[in-house]
Amino acid sequence: MTADIAAIAGALAGGTDLGLALLPAGPEAGRGGQGLVRRLDGVPGVLFKRYLEPGRVRGPALAELVALRLALPPDDRDRLDAQAAWPLCRVVDGPHCVGFLMREAPAPMTWRTASGGSRLTEAQYLLYPEKPATQGVVRPDPEQRLALVLELLGLIDRLHRLGLVIGDLSHANVLWSVRPAPAVHLLDCDGIRRVGAAPVLEQADTPNWSDPLSPHGSASSVDSDRYKAALLVGRILAQDPYLVPGAPFEPLPGVLTERQLGLARRVWEQAGGPYGTRPDPTAWLPALGTRGSIPLAPAVAPVPRPSRPVDARLFDGRAPRGSIRLRRPD
Amino acid sequence: MQILPFYAVCDESSSMTLHIDTLNKALFELHQEISTNPTVADKTRFGLIGFSTDAHELQPLVDLSDLEELPALEASGLTSYGRAFDLLRRAIERDVTELKAEGHDVYRPVVFFLSDGEPTDNDWEQPYQDLLAAAFRPHIIAFGITEGADRTVIAQVATFKAFMQEDGNADVAPALREFAASLTRSIVRSVSGATAAGTGMSLQVDDQVPGFTAVSLDKL
Repeated sequence: MTADIAAIAGALAGGTDLGLALLPAGPEAGRGGQGLVRRLDGVPGVLFKRYLEPGRVRGPALAELVALRLALPPDDRDRLDAQAAWPLCRVVDGPHCVGFLMREAPAPMTWRTASGGSRLTEAQYLLYPEKPATQGVVRPDPEQRLALVLELLGLIDRLHRLGLVIGDLSHANVLWSVRPAPAVHLLDCDGIRRVGAAPVLEQADTPNWSDPLSPHGSASSVDSDRYKAALLVGRILAQDPYLVPGAPFEPLPGVLTERQLGLARRVWEQAGGPYGTRPDPTAWLPALGTRGSIPLAPAVAPVPRPSRPVDARLFDGRAPRGSIRLRRPD
Repeated sequence: MQILPFYAVCDESSSMTLHIDTLNKALFELHQEISTNPTVADKTRFGLIGFSTDAHELQPLVDLSDLEELPALEASGLTSYGRAFDLLRRAIERDVTELKAEGHDVYRPVVFFLSDGEPTDNDWEQPYQDLLAAAFRPHIIAFGITEGADRTVIAQVATFKAFMQEDGNADVAPALREFAASLTRSIVRSVSGATAAGTGMSLQVDDQVPGFTAVSLDKL
């Protein structure tokens, strides 16, 4: 057992494949359409996602994600680990890739229900007003709501700069917290793929989060990511789960200044445009960023000059009138 | 907005006396699961009908996240399937009409029917046929528990799937918990599961429920 734990620690550090037989048992932590997620006894903070249909798994695509993380400079890797449940190493059963290990979401990204259950603090709690059953969620004030959106845009931008496409971005796979400071955390990172490459598994979009120009998740691109990023921005700031570009963008009171709102509305409308014209995450920054504005002096009426009597003699008389020569001199 | 209405139609006849607390606790868990998931709660509505000698609409169709308490089932009386189906038909007709009037796109309602016994009314099939003949006829998933439930009748009631408790003499509590858990999963998956076009909803019900045997719906 101790040897197995050491092997797991080694695989987590080095990204090497891990045999399924080495994994200890552990309680189920979640269940999705593609796999089961469970804990590993004796390995705190680490989760094992096991695919329901390993025969469909593209193992090399998963290996690429593992390698990409390890190739990052240490600071960038730390930041990625803090913001994403990234695949740390693959789990294999003989020649087949059956799943992977990842870190559990940070503790601040969970909340307690009234009956004591634990839930992940998904982005969906930013899209609906508080109800009796969701009072355990620590909600953001308007400033924090904007800060969460900026954190999210920063994360998406960094992933795009790595040449990646996220694919399924929705209320269900973005976690957030405002304690101790506004932060976000991306789930389902095995759906991320290199631009133009196929994902580990065929992806389906979350209902109500599809790009109308790319309704099938596997056709995801940087452009469809930009559309979904805009959905998250608009829906979070407006607390409206169904908002789409084309519909009026009305953020919650106090989230944006009038100046920011005017700029944000322009970017919001562009997000529904054709491929190649959609705003990348940084395009939101002039509207939503913390860049200050220069307070300009208010316009005031000019001070009227005192009127003076006009000396009519200055205008009297006319100088001798000349003429314009129209022909060249001979 | 798209709405998928779910109804739990539960037998609360006197034979359920020993199990009714378990069922009520299972409904508490169902509420916990759905009401803390605003996306699912927003797209679904839940109604609860209890039936014995008569049928009662214990909880009219509601967004579960708006509820702070749910009327409890209480065991007594006979097992009148006819009253249950008649009340269900009227409730569905009223609810779907209201939801449509509010501008919602309403999906065909889904009924989770649970009984531990045979119907004690001989004329239950007419109200049942009326229910299926209605414009908003629901999909029905039927569960039979204990040895009192008749496999043939449960299969007859179901239009979508039917399940019988594997061992009718075994503890009923796990079966009741699985009934509610299956209902919960169905609600969550039907709303959360992606459809081919990435929009809309498709009814997703367990093929297998732990402790139950799936019953063929082929009817003679």
